Amino acid sequence: MAVSSQPAADLAPLPRADGSATFSHHGFVVTAAVNGPVEAPRRDENAFEALVDVIVRPAAGVGGTAERQLESILQSTLRQLIPIRDFPRTMIQITLQIVEIPENAYENAKILQAQLNLPVIPALLHAAILGLLTASIPLKTIVTACTVAITEDGASAGRVTLEPTAIEARRAKSLHVVGFTGDGGLLLSESTGSFSLEELAQVLELGEKACSRDHKDGTDVLMEDDEVSSSSIKYFIRSVMQSKAAKDLHWK
Amino acid sequence: MLFSYSSLLQGRNPSLKSIPRTQNPTRLTHRAGAMSSGPIYVLPGDEIDASLIPSHPKKPLRLGPGLRHAPPNDIIPTVAGQFVVERQKNAIRVETTSGRYIPRVGELVIGTVHHSGAESYFVTLSDFTSSALLPHLSFESATRKTRPMLANGALVYARVSLAHKHMDPELECVSPSTGKSDGLGPLTDGMLFPISLGMSRRLMLSKSAQDGKVVVLDELASAGLQFETATGRNGRFWVDSENIKTISLVGRAVTETDEKGLNVDQQKKLVRSLIKELS
Repeated sequence: MAVSSQPAADLAPLPRADGSATFSHHGFVVTAAVNGPVEAPRRDENAFEALVDVIVRPAAGVGGTAERQLESILQSTLRQLIPIRDFPRTMIQITLQIVEIPENAYENAKILQAQLNLPVIPALLHAAILGLLTASIPLKTIVTACTVAITEDGASAGRVTLEPTAIEARRAKSLHVVGFTGDGGLLLSESTGSFSLEELAQVLELGEKACSRDHKDGTDVLMEDDEVSSSSIKYFIRSVMQSKAAKDLHWK
Repeated sequence: MLFSYSSLLQGRNPSLKSIPRTQNPTRLTHRAGAMSSGPIYVLPGDEIDASLIPSHPKKPLRLGPGLRHAPPNDIIPTVAGQFVVERQKNAIRVETTSGRYIPRVGELVIGTVHHSGAESYFVTLSDFTSSALLPHLSFESATRKTRPMLANGALVYARVSLAHKHMDPELECVSPSTGKSDGLGPLTDGMLFPISLGMSRRLMLSKSAQDGKVVVLDELASAGLQFETATGRNGRFWVDSENIKTISLVGRAVTETDEKGLNVDQQKKLVRSLIKELS
């Protein structure tokens, strides 16, 4: 189960959507389709703000309460990024289809309904951001997120791990997802499990370092954390958007 | 038409150069174009290097699409694209080619008549957006009795006369100052092709072959085909000809050039193969 730790993306794979992107990282593959600003349904129309509509579809089966919870987390994050007051009476619809989840050879991969899957949030969020960028929808800033786990058992008890594997996430004492904006502000923080305030501070510190990195090799920032292998998402988003813009504007 | 500016900063802002910057060693903020000299690409929220913002002694600084002025003196990109500076016009903008059309005043668009109201037509500029209004009387020499009767589904070439986020856009097919149509009005017959916003902008450049590197239409015309085209800024391309084969050939040539991002030589090659197919 070699899960690639390098992010990959395919921009505008869907011809009919205003913007779309397929994003894969740490074994998760998510396709986002973004449409907007379009006319909002009459009953949801807001006279002063755009409606941000996030739909999460699971890899298999129909969505349940877990997907509704993911939707509400992503909705509240994304509506902070989009200048919603610039598009009154409209709707910006973001459909996120989970295509793949990491294969897990050791843990019992029982699909439990109505269980929140925190590690999928960064993949969903990054796919949504790339979709919004391809749809040329104005954003105040971009946000990058990462998963952090605090391990429980063994010698490394209480150790904070960035981007845990499926097994590590399963066995962790607590799991956290943190998202930071381009200028380093905390925008998203979701946690499960039990943890102390000091541990949360550690998680936030590691998360900020990982999310705010904007260089290909993070050696200068993460030297002390032997987590150099994880690549910078912000740099990745910048480079894919740059190559798309260069390709689209080849005639200039 | 090149593009229209979404906002205008009144007066040159001399304090732009002295935006206070926090230099936090752990936080690596990306400063657009701090070192590169080639094309500059930005992401939303990036900081634009002050040396890139033009200063002109008289003209006010103009912000084009994709930029936001955050008072007091920050200029922040809102879309991902190429940062373009026009020193002569004292203007800056971020160029993108994809996305949904958002109307701006003065742009030429091709709309589809959805239905007719009491005093105006309801015209669709892009799918799933609220209709634009085209008053019955804003055609050349139109009066209550003599006005063009447009059926549902008819195409019109019009100019955006009003665009405001709180109101439905309004269109006109007549110049308000001269009363002439200037080529605007109903588009009869022909066929409509959807193209990307970037392609429609390229086609609408005054020197599209030179500045936009689009030569398909010139090549098709020099191959002896006779056709008429109209391009709307909303990503619509209309072709009409006596010969139906010519219509579909021209439309295919333009959509293929758009989708595959063909360069000048590839466009010429495409035209040659299409012409061969026709004969």
